[in-house]
Amino acid sequence: MRQFVRSDGYARARLFSGTVMIVLGIVVVARMFLGAGLDWHGIPGYVLGLALIGLGVVRFREYAARTKGPTQR
Amino acid sequence: MAASGTIKGPAADQPSLRRAVTPWGSFAWGYSDVGADIFVGLGLVLGAAAGASNVAFLFAGLVYVCVGLAYTELAAAYPVAGGGQYFVLRGLGDIFGFIAGWAVLLDFTIDIVLFAWSCIDYLSKLLPAIAFTVHPWMHFAVVFIVIAGLAILNVIGVRESSAFNEIVSGLDVVSETAILFFGFLFAFRPEILVHTMSMNWPTTFNLMNGTSLAIISFVGLESISQAAQETQRPASVIPRTSISLILTILIFALAYSNLALGMQPWTPIPLDEHGHAQALWHYLGSEENNGSAVSVLASLIPYYGALAALYVPLLGAILLLISSNSGVFGSSRIAYAMSQSQLLPSVFRRVHPKFRTPAVSIAVFCGFAILELVFAALPSLSHSFKAIYDHLFRGEDGITFLGDLYAFGAATSYSFVFVALIALRLREPESPRRFKIPFNIPFRYKGVRVEFPVVAVIGFLGITSILVFTMITHLIGRIAGPSWILIGLIGYLIYRRRKGLPVFRSKPHAWRTQQVQILRDAGELEMMDEYISNVKATDEARRASGKAGLKP
Repeated sequence: MRQFVRSDGYARARLFSGTVMIVLGIVVVARMFLGAGLDWHGIPGYVLGLALIGLGVVRFREYAARTKGPTQR
Repeated sequence: MAASGTIKGPAADQPSLRRAVTPWGSFAWGYSDVGADIFVGLGLVLGAAAGASNVAFLFAGLVYVCVGLAYTELAAAYPVAGGGQYFVLRGLGDIFGFIAGWAVLLDFTIDIVLFAWSCIDYLSKLLPAIAFTVHPWMHFAVVFIVIAGLAILNVIGVRESSAFNEIVSGLDVVSETAILFFGFLFAFRPEILVHTMSMNWPTTFNLMNGTSLAIISFVGLESISQAAQETQRPASVIPRTSISLILTILIFALAYSNLALGMQPWTPIPLDEHGHAQALWHYLGSEENNGSAVSVLASLIPYYGALAALYVPLLGAILLLISSNSGVFGSSRIAYAMSQSQLLPSVFRRVHPKFRTPAVSIAVFCGFAILELVFAALPSLSHSFKAIYDHLFRGEDGITFLGDLYAFGAATSYSFVFVALIALRLREPESPRRFKIPFNIPFRYKGVRVEFPVVAVIGFLGITSILVFTMITHLIGRIAGPSWILIGLIGYLIYRRRKGLPVFRSKPHAWRTQQVQILRDAGELEMMDEYISNVKATDEARRASGKAGLKP
């Protein structure tokens, strides 16, 4: 497990999951907008979409930092 | 250490914990504790907050983000086992450190019962004979055996391996992401969500009740702080893993609650006991399903549901069992640390002569857990007790009672952590912080530049409001929670008086010497050097401004 976590395969898996999160976040926000518009009942849905995008961005940044330098100390 | 600011070298070599926890291990450690919470919390919140469950999760989630940021900053700056109790002890002194630690101990004992109870609820989806609603005595007996078994395993020193923990956490993240993916792509309808929220909006009382229960889906950040002493390069690793953990948990809680309110189920929902159709959220929040709501929800997801129905109960049960075990382990460790700080009697750090584990602490807190189990299970085991509970406590069921106390303990300890964060920012500006909560107001305090954390005030107000909601809406929590604190406090005062220690004030602590030792042990040598030079600069600045150096 630890070898896998240190491998490039793990980094790519995180990049893939980050991409999935961002896509899913955009889908959630778009569907909320189309289905609920600016109704305040949609706020938890919008926050969910934005949190998904945020987590995806965190994973992208992790991947970028890892490919630039050895952060996995 | 003297007030002059000189720093003594480390004390004589003492055995310490091995630093073997990697970034993924740190994430998995926290996830196996916090990630299990939604398996328990979802059904309870749906049962209480109905159409506003996602709003309850959102409010509690935002408070949790503030709590998470506070823990991240403190655990990265003070990477020692002890978590919230240590931060409060250091920031506010002995008596508040005791109260925070005692509240955390309440949470850990509840953690043992609540997660063992819920673990059996999830397993009962595969083994109906142990279902709470079918055979309450059998359910009680199995939960009892699980708790007793975990206590024995912890006394003889067997703990789930870190690798096992990491694998289960990894599988669960993948599984929950798949549920979320299929659910939002194929079953989620925003129109249904808006309609459900509009038509089933709860009363203010029920919304407060739901919000106070929602916080239990975010409890367990203690684990990351406790793992800090075993994490490699904690100052850089903890912020990274904590931010991921905070977002992941927030996403799962919001996703499940939104799905429960706005999903078109793949298969028809069974009729209720009166033969009427029922909404998905109502079905998930019913007494029959509230202990295993996540697995029921997963089974109703299109395409993926048939597969999820087979493994989610098992995966959930394993994660909950790990979490229950972390309650046994955590309570004994916190009690041990409190005993070392002379907040609890020395008996709590007595180790078993053969197994070298804190056997007394494990036995005492598992004993409390068994008492809580009996109290929670009594109404389902005996009709006469049910009548008494109906009369005294509005007929709260066992799992809700455990949830009440869990929310009380968490809200109490988190409140103190926010105040401790503010105090430590003012009193120890010399401590290097590799991660700082955003939005700070800089000013000069006793001649030194400090930063006041605005988010800590927002978080404190949020968690205090949840504490107030808990006190208003939970009859048993209102009595049992403060009673736990009061009884502990009386014991603390008697113990300190008998030992000749300051009762209301703190005994002297060599924080600066300890901090150098902590950073050296953590391998954070740059931070250690920075700390030593900051100490000198801070003391000089205080002397120059006419203020005496703070006592360490």
